[in-house]
Amino acid sequence: MAAAGRFLVPNVLYEADRRFKALKPEDYPEGPTFMPNLRVFLFRKGNSFRAASAVCTHLGCTVNLSGVGFHCPCHGSVFDTSGAVVSGPAPNSLAWFQITLSRDGHLVIDTVQQVKPDKYLVV
Amino acid sequence: MLNSLWNTFRSTTLGRSIFRVGLPHSNLERAQVAISSFFLHFQPAKVNRRSLKFRTTLGLGLISLYLFLILIATGVLLMFYYVPATDYAYQNMKDLEFVVTAGQVLRNMHRWAAHLMVLFVAMHMCRAFYTAAYKPPREFNWVVGVGLFLLTLGLSFTGYLLPWDQLAYWAITVGTSIAGYAPLVGQKLKFLFLGGHTVGESALIRFYVLHVIVLPLAAVMLIALHLWRVRKDGGLARPGEALPTREDMPHLPVTKTYGLMELARGTTPAVGIKPEDEVFTWPNVVFREILLLMATIAVVLILAIFWNAPLEEIANPVHPPNPAKAPWYFLGLQELVAYSAFWGGVVVPGLLVTALIALPYLDRRPRGVGVWFSGERKVAVTIFSICLGVAVILTVIGTAFRGPNWSFQLPWKPIHVEEAPH
Repeated sequence: MAAAGRFLVPNVLYEADRRFKALKPEDYPEGPTFMPNLRVFLFRKGNSFRAASAVCTHLGCTVNLSGVGFHCPCHGSVFDTSGAVVSGPAPNSLAWFQITLSRDGHLVIDTVQQVKPDKYLVV
Repeated sequence: MLNSLWNTFRSTTLGRSIFRVGLPHSNLERAQVAISSFFLHFQPAKVNRRSLKFRTTLGLGLISLYLFLILIATGVLLMFYYVPATDYAYQNMKDLEFVVTAGQVLRNMHRWAAHLMVLFVAMHMCRAFYTAAYKPPREFNWVVGVGLFLLTLGLSFTGYLLPWDQLAYWAITVGTSIAGYAPLVGQKLKFLFLGGHTVGESALIRFYVLHVIVLPLAAVMLIALHLWRVRKDGGLARPGEALPTREDMPHLPVTKTYGLMELARGTTPAVGIKPEDEVFTWPNVVFREILLLMATIAVVLILAIFWNAPLEEIANPVHPPNPAKAPWYFLGLQELVAYSAFWGGVVVPGLLVTALIALPYLDRRPRGVGVWFSGERKVAVTIFSICLGVAVILTVIGTAFRGPNWSFQLPWKPIHVEEAPH
């Protein structure tokens, strides 16, 4: 019984890597860039970078950028520019992910490591 | 012509080996037909006259069963073309629509029969409630019925992902995220359902296996149990079937006797089965059953010919459609979830299912059995009707009154879709 239950839990996942090597910093324009494979918004402000999750904390829909922050099309949650919930059913604010620089100068976004919204990677 | 062919066939050794009893001409043979045929023997040889009246049941349970049979037949056919892989699934749907002969109609039949089955199983449950058919001795069969209702929803939900279109992908994303809100085990449960963190290949194959073998097999077994219990619990609920209990007969001796005539406590299913109340199953029941089967198939076929099952563009894991909606029977739930995922998605449905299962054990007084909206059950009828009404209203709001961003929208106003910048 226990073995049958354990059998159903996969040991290897053939999913997109949750740690993603992006382009070089200079390849991204000023302002937000949406990265579809990770569902992440990358924000560039001069030399500083940060990455916000585009996955709504309510039920997993992809949020869109709006003038005042983010909004979710599924159940109408609204988040401000720091990802905090303004209105709607979302229980938590949007996550911000750690960005590091790889040896060859690429941005690496790690969606397993969460950071505070005011944490920037300065290059 | 047909008759003489049948008689010739029956006169051969082969014919007699298959059909032990021929077309019946006497009451003895009418009883033997029902008893000796595998496909008829799950019914009694004789049934109460009242059971045949259309208004006793409105045929709702039987129609649900027929829809299930239609779903098995069309579903097995669809399996010949469908491949549960993210690279092929959507392409198979397009093939069924444009390349396979009658593929579109079969898929339509499967889709409309599934929607109708949810509707008819729900109405059958309402019928059982409003005629107090869950009261002793039928408590457990009501619980089996609740199980079948949940299986019907599970079958619909797992089938929803298989076309791998936008509708499918986001309905399952939203639905499994609701499971993730369950306390303690939620996230583990979601991971187990999806076989990963997101809806992908392993989720598709898991839902496929559940949809084509695990849940249908469970449904077949529960349906068999359900029908068997209908017989064992004394047929359809009817008024006046309850025998006076021992407490109602204080004049009877309470000392133990060894006579065969000692009265047993409680009621017996045999009450009300008097010869004058009974008719033979063949042909009275069988004829009506076949008529209802024909009517059900005809309605599903007509729906399938004139209305196509929806198929949106291929699943895009990045952009949800706006608004992203679950199938209609979950929209009441989605409406609640739009207020709070935990309360609307876990607590309310959990309490409702618990209440449905507990109902026959809480409300046991044998009143109003077999009578529609009995005046003796005003409280129970009122509470159930309010819950039903709220469920219907929430479903209607979620279906018709919710537009982009889940904002309130009047269905007759033109929808203004604001395309968000990506």
